[in-house]
This record gives sequence, structure tokens and C-alpha cells, in this order.
Amino acid sequence: MNAQAKIPNFFIREIPFLVLLIFWVIYAGIEIIRGRFDILTSVVPTGLFIIAYIVARWVSKENKD
Amino acid sequence: MDLFLALELIALALTGLLIWHSARTRGAAFTWMFFLGGAFLGLIRENVVAQVAALNLYSYSPATFHLWIGAAPLILMVFWSYTIYLSLTFSEVILGGDLIGGKRSARVILLAMVFMASYACLNEAFASMYPMVLWKFKPALVIWGQTPAMVLWGYAGMSLIFLTALLIVYKLRIRTVYRVMIFCASGIVMIPLHLLWIAIFRLATSFIG
Repeated sequence: MNAQAKIPNFFIREIPFLVLLIFWVIYAGIEIIRGRFDILTSVVPTGLFIIAYIVARWVSKENKD
Repeated sequence: MDLFLALELIALALTGLLIWHSARTRGAAFTWMFFLGGAFLGLIRENVVAQVAALNLYSYSPATFHLWIGAAPLILMVFWSYTIYLSLTFSEVILGGDLIGGKRSARVILLAMVFMASYACLNEAFASMYPMVLWKFKPALVIWGQTPAMVLWGYAGMSLIFLTALLIVYKLRIRTVYRVMIFCASGIVMIPLHLLWIAIFRLATSFIG
């Protein structure tokens, strides 16, 4: 990210994560509601990215402490 | 309210949040380039793909979408920039990189491509199921929901082409307004490049089955 930009607060910084999480839940939710369990596993690859993102944030916080 | 209209409006609102995030964390020049360039790319590309029969790819279901711009849904004006922005941000955080700053740029683009392919899985399976997209050809390889496997390659390629073009234009030593205009105009180059990228995959898999 742009190093010259002001460091934003937690909410603003995590907007992309929240956006993906909202869509991820919507996709999975609609597939469950429609009973499309055959394609529900299509959310898994993006789910791995969500986990990797959380881990990366946690590791960077640990390193700062 | 129709469920899909609600989804279209939610997607537009969430893209607004991403634009806000970009303006706050990456600056105005980057934000104008990224999202205005993405809008032009989406507008032109999706209209071309939906209307040029010779490409033999797909069209959009008129029964599903409510908001249109030409032959393409309005949401496609924000779709590419929204997904590529997520791919860029996630990759930068996971790798500790900075595309524009030149820190691990190549690796950030590569991981962004993997993210895009992952996103293609859920988005296109959903799109085929709903259906949002009407495929015009019978694919040789499929993923979830009988979606052509080509979409994983296609999404990854769009991320590669878009972010590389962004990096090149962003580094030009000219006024921001000219960089924005050049990046918007570069869609005319990005679209045929991406169609070529897809054609390579289709050709390579045409011998299967």
C-alpha cells in the first residue's frame, strides 16, 4: 500500500476483508437456501484466502508486539 | 424487492466502500485510475463479449439482471475493479508487499492471479446456477455447476493484464489526469489481450473430450 498515505483506523483498513466476507456469506447462504449443496464447495478456495488473510494480519500484529 | 436486485444494489454499495478504502489508503491518483479504468474496461469488454457472436463466449440473462448499460449488466462496470482490488489487497497483506511501491510486486501479481482464480470458482458457479450467464459453447473442461474451467484462467489473466497495465501507467511521469485518461484508454489494448489469453486456453483444451 501507499506508504505516504495516512494509516487508517481498524474499520477502514479492514474494509476489503469485510466486503469479501459479506459476499462469501451471501454466496454460500443462497446456495444453501436453494439446496445447491453440489456447488457449495466452490466457496472453499476463497475461504482459504480468508483464513490466510486473518493469519497474515495476526502474524504481523504478533511481530509488532 | 427482488433478491437479485438487492444483490446488485449491495454490490454497488460495497464497491463504494472499496473506493473509499482506496482513496483513504492509496491516494486519489491510484483510486481514479483503478476504478475509472476498471469501469471503462468492464463497460466495453462485457458489451463486446455479449454482442459479438463470433467470440462464441456468453451473454447475460435478461431474466436475472435489472440494471443494464447496453448489452451488459450495470454491475459489470464495477465488477472487474472490485474483484481485482480485493485480489490486490489480499495479496499485499498476505505477502507483506506493495505493488505500486515496488515491494514484491511480481509475487503480489502472481498471488492476485491465484486469488482471482479462486474467486472465479464461487462467482461463476453461482453465475451458472442462477443463471446470470448463458454460455454459448460446450466447454471441454468444467468446474462446479458445469462452469467452463476456462473462467479460472480468464479471471487470473484479467488480474495479470490489469495490474501490469496499472503499474506501467502509474509510473509515467505525467500529470494524474493524463495517467487516468491513458489507463482508461488502455482498456482498448487490455480487452484484445485478454480475449487472446482466453483463446489460448480454449485452443489448448479443445483436444480434450
